[in-house]
Amino acid sequence: MKNGFRQSMAWLHTWTGLLVGWLLLLIFMAGTASYYREEISRWMRPELPATTVSTDVAAARAVQYLQAHAGQAETWFVTLPDPRNPAMRLFWRNPESLAKPPVDGERRRRGGGRFGDATVDPNTGDKLEARDTRGGEFFYRLHFDLHYIPVVWARYLVGFCAMFMLVAIITGVITHKKIFKDFFTFRKDKGLRSWLDFHNVSAVMALPYHAMITYTGIVTLMVMYLPWGIKVAYPTDENAFFSEAFGGMPEVSAPAEGRSSPLPITRLLESARAHWQGVDVSGFTVTHPGAANAVIDIRQRDGRRLSTDTPALRYDMVSGQLLSETPASGAATATRGVLYGLHLARFADWGLRAFFFVSGLIGCLMVASGVVLWAVKERPKHAKRSRIGFGLRLVDALNIGAVAGLPIAFAAYFWGNRLLPVRLPERADAEVSVFFYAWAAALLAGFIWPRRSMWTGLLYLGAVLFALLPLLNALTTQAHLGVTMVSGDWVLAGFDLVMLAFGAMLALCGWRMQRWTPPISAAEKKKRAALQAGTAGAGA
Amino acid sequence: MDRSSSSARPTTAQRLASCFTGPGVGVLSRSLAAMLGGYALASVTSVFCAVALPGARGQAVLTGMLVAIIVCACAALWAFAARTALHAWAGILLPALLMAAVARALGAWA
Amino acid sequence: MMLLSLCVSFTAFAALSLAMEKHQQDLHGRRAALLLRRRSWSVLGWLLLAVAFGLCIGEHGWAMGPVVWLGTLTLSGIALAFGLYPWKPHWVVPLAVLLPVIGLIAAI
Repeated sequence: MKNGFRQSMAWLHTWTGLLVGWLLLLIFMAGTASYYREEISRWMRPELPATTVSTDVAAARAVQYLQAHAGQAETWFVTLPDPRNPAMRLFWRNPESLAKPPVDGERRRRGGGRFGDATVDPNTGDKLEARDTRGGEFFYRLHFDLHYIPVVWARYLVGFCAMFMLVAIITGVITHKKIFKDFFTFRKDKGLRSWLDFHNVSAVMALPYHAMITYTGIVTLMVMYLPWGIKVAYPTDENAFFSEAFGGMPEVSAPAEGRSSPLPITRLLESARAHWQGVDVSGFTVTHPGAANAVIDIRQRDGRRLSTDTPALRYDMVSGQLLSETPASGAATATRGVLYGLHLARFADWGLRAFFFVSGLIGCLMVASGVVLWAVKERPKHAKRSRIGFGLRLVDALNIGAVAGLPIAFAAYFWGNRLLPVRLPERADAEVSVFFYAWAAALLAGFIWPRRSMWTGLLYLGAVLFALLPLLNALTTQAHLGVTMVSGDWVLAGFDLVMLAFGAMLALCGWRMQRWTPPISAAEKKKRAALQAGTAGAGA
Repeated sequence: MDRSSSSARPTTAQRLASCFTGPGVGVLSRSLAAMLGGYALASVTSVFCAVALPGARGQAVLTGMLVAIIVCACAALWAFAARTALHAWAGILLPALLMAAVARALGAWA
Repeated sequence: MMLLSLCVSFTAFAALSLAMEKHQQDLHGRRAALLLRRRSWSVLGWLLLAVAFGLCIGEHGWAMGPVVWLGTLTLSGIALAFGLYPWKPHWVVPLAVLLPVIGLIAAI
């Protein structure tokens, strides 16, 4: 159809990139933000305490709280505090008999009313009262569950886009003839050439990351996308696949009759730490708490290995005996664990996390420069006509709405967090609505006036919204830069500073957009030079 | 007044036929081959690996999924690199049928 | 340690870029360096990449080491291509010499 392999790959690259580019931009931005979802959640709940206690004290408080409030639950699930998240999250699952039926008019609870949860202060053991917000978890969920559509559809759609992106990456590499020669090449102020260079460099410099994040993204949901292998290999019992492939602990037997008091949690954690030669605990799950055969699965802290499959130890809660350990994984399980782990980057310490975050931002720039590049390339073809064609107008509008509009939506989400009343019912949903209303407004603006002035306006608006966040923070809370930089709370201070940095970057983009003048063609330059020479000659 | 048939207005039959030979059709055909054919090939690959690979069942199934993703991407590339749309479909469906046959022989869909 | 690997990666990429005629011209105008000179930049660049790789593996092990190494390459490459060469090409060589020294001091 097209001449040559490279040209057909170039065509494929353009269309796989363009057709899903705007949705990919949302996915990439939300995903990149998710690297810091814990920190974002902390900033969005400034009431939460910053101090951290030892894991033993925290664990004791957790057990205390659960015994008081979830004594009859089947399972307790505890995530102990860590430097990134000082509050403690507790979940529990009640037996069927205690499931709460939905009240008329109330939204159906997830899990059919059997689940309970609490965020607890590890210092006091009391439930924490903080403003209702989804925090950074919203961005995390947004990037694969999207919003307003059923989760299953969203995941298929995101997987579809991810596959398009994977093809775009591969075809991009094939098409980029001078990938080594142009490795460091970025020619600025040259119009189309500059956009192409920018797109190329942002793609190539973080190519391992882009390829990895896209492939591993598909891997995280591959069981949903490709269930056929399971159905064929496990025709009678599909659940066996999950226990065999994902190397879990064996099933726990039904609760025994009779209650017995378990050993103190600190003793159990100590045995686990001793077994792991000092490596700390990240959390634990208790099955049938209070029963005579209660067991506890203690999980190791992340950060020592790439894989998400953290090792765990199972102890009998009454006798303290080690019952089992996570079995060694098969090769495919380990591979999948590493790939999943690379995507989530739970293992990353602050330095490596910053690398991932910057790479994610470069990915956003790559996608954004790609869709803008298409419009820049397409525009001269419409110069002959009086009006711009439908396709280009659509792309222009979507570009403005996505590239300039999404940052506005992100900033608006944070503004909503600080401005919405703390006691507002359904507050978390209200914050999410702010995000989408802001984005809708930007998209509408893009469609009404898809011109450079709208670009400039929206970029400046985004800059203002981001840059003023630290000020808004100071006006509405006690957790602003004046306090956090002094006390050394770098999570909260860092958030404010990064917002300032984004504001500055967007302002720079807006300024450049404002000052942009159309490039003069070589023929025009010659004409002007000849004209000048002519007047000079005539004047002499 | 005598006009040859080539300069007369095209008949309905001719217009219908041209629907299937325009340049857009090739692109549409290849796109379908890439997307639908690609997914079909990936699915069959995962099934094939699940039954054909040695070792534990669970591991074979997982490996099949990991490989199938790559296969899907490659199918998309092939669909647009092939000389004609027909070649595109052939290059995707033939391996799929082959793998399906072997998988069937090894016990899948029994 | 990560700072040192980052600095070494930067110098490695700087050297590799200098091995290219285009960037030689960025720095020295029309006169590009001799082929032999450029070859030696190239060798130095690859050598330093290996050193950076070794540093990353040594500090973070075989699992995370390569991930960290690739991260340092991304950051250095972006700094060179988007920051230095377009606006301050004459800073490339001084930084390439200075940064590993700073990194070394920070590591000790």
